[in-house]
Amino acid sequence: MQAFLTILKYDLGQLIHSWVLRIWLPLLIAPAFALVVIANSESELASETLAFYIWVVMAPISAIATAILSAAAITGESRIISDSILSRSVTRSEYVAAKIIARVGFTLTIYLFVIGPFAYLLTDYAVADTSIGGVISGLVLVGAMLAFLATFGIAMSVTFSSVLPAVMVVLVAMTLSGAIFQFLGLNAMSTTAIMEQLPATFRGEIDAWEHTQVLLIFVVASIAALTGAVWLFRRKDL
Amino acid sequence: MHIVQTTELTKIYDNRYIALNALNLEVDKGMVFGLVGPNGAGKSTMFRILLGLQQPTAGTVSVFSESVSPERSDIRRRIGYLPTNPSFPKHMTPITYLEFIGSILGISKQQSKIQLARLLQAVDLVNYASQQINGFSTGMMTRLGIAAALMGDPELLILDEPTLGLDPAGRKQTIELIHELSGHDRTIIIATHILSDVERVCSDVGIISQGRLIYSGPMVEMRRLARQGSISIEIEGNLTTFEQQIHTLDEIGAVRYERTGTEFRITFLGTEPLSEYVQRLMTLVDRTGVDMLYITTGDGEIEEAFLGRLEDDRTRGFLRAAAWAAEQDVGNETAEDPNTVLTEL
Repeated sequence: MQAFLTILKYDLGQLIHSWVLRIWLPLLIAPAFALVVIANSESELASETLAFYIWVVMAPISAIATAILSAAAITGESRIISDSILSRSVTRSEYVAAKIIARVGFTLTIYLFVIGPFAYLLTDYAVADTSIGGVISGLVLVGAMLAFLATFGIAMSVTFSSVLPAVMVVLVAMTLSGAIFQFLGLNAMSTTAIMEQLPATFRGEIDAWEHTQVLLIFVVASIAALTGAVWLFRRKDL
Repeated sequence: MHIVQTTELTKIYDNRYIALNALNLEVDKGMVFGLVGPNGAGKSTMFRILLGLQQPTAGTVSVFSESVSPERSDIRRRIGYLPTNPSFPKHMTPITYLEFIGSILGISKQQSKIQLARLLQAVDLVNYASQQINGFSTGMMTRLGIAAALMGDPELLILDEPTLGLDPAGRKQTIELIHELSGHDRTIIIATHILSDVERVCSDVGIISQGRLIYSGPMVEMRRLARQGSISIEIEGNLTTFEQQIHTLDEIGAVRYERTGTEFRITFLGTEPLSEYVQRLMTLVDRTGVDMLYITTGDGEIEEAFLGRLEDDRTRGFLRAAAWAAEQDVGNETAEDPNTVLTEL
């Protein structure tokens, strides 16, 4: 447990001081403020503005940042892992668990840190057509997608031996899968289809069962990615 | 008690490269064991398997009489490891890094501070204690690696090329430090290709070549072997005739020699007793009519013995391959004795 906490603290420290965060956060916050001002002056609908922000700003920028942070989690420091960490009294399970919690937790914290106040401000300053349940449902869905992206990135980080291919695979898979699933009619699995339905979700017009189904799919996919990552990492030669 | 024991330890990478080939090694408590071998011999691979960083393809490995696995952090808690050209988190300083290691090992903050101050002093990094590791030279990284390996006062120290990248003063200091660390029931395994380092600190030595341990025994025995086949002789007279006739000594095994002015250092790679070689050399001196000014044995040092063992292993490797091929030819009916093959060849 002591080793787990030490690595968790070490990894969070790395993430807080990373260049990705220094770019990611301002790129999310600045457009959010701008949109609140525009929505207020132009009397825009809160549901449409929030969905637009997620679709145009939050999703692409956070996807790139999360892909980099998660896909570099293990590959990015492979020599340090073996020389300085796993050759000491640390088990691989402790190490990979600390990494997963740090990276997924960090991604979700940044997401909530930005989207929470933004959603609150929009319901106050834009035309309030949203329901509380709808906003929570929509934001939870986007959060689940980001969490899946982070876990998939960690799985790729264990699979690949260098950072760039791991990041590329995560980004390509994420971009193509949304379109392909939508084309196949599997809307519950398609990030593109989910994003298109976000305004309706924020207004509370989405069926609860449909919502639960989508959420379950991403939770199961995340658990599968994590199980694969842990299984592979425990058997990997370092 | 065997602190480290490997049985038929084999590691094959991607079914292409054999890094360890049925390696059997035993290191007992309190030993300072020098593992000597050329680059790529398998020393680092063996260490990584001992630490659970890599999984063996076949064979068994035990440390402190317990099986090693990636999840056995309790075993690694008792091991200090210095890798070759160690990597550290670059943004850390020696102090924060050693604190980090102390925290992983479960040492209290106060105890950790005491230990790291003592260790930074011992490896001469006190003046750089608060500088980022990012700008450190190879030698400084090695010294920091030694300090990190010693955090938690481990019972087993595994040092992979501990003098690599160090200047002569740093090398001397490191050797002295290893010397100080030996004893107190601590076991030390050092991998190096610098034979003089091994000679100075090790109680036992193992020679590893192409993934196999081809010699393992006490250092004194290795020194005896070194003396066994090496004779230095200084002569005057017709040196050219003497030099031309040296090859006639190979009737009793392969011979190598080096000439420095009037001095010849002759190394016999055979297995005859030293007295036999001396007698043959005296006969050669008589036959060529030179005057002998000086003769001594054992100048070959450990390096000659090491090279002799490697050469011997290469020959045996060829014999083993030939025996295996012969065995395949007769349809696996009987395995031939390598010595028989030698006669046939």
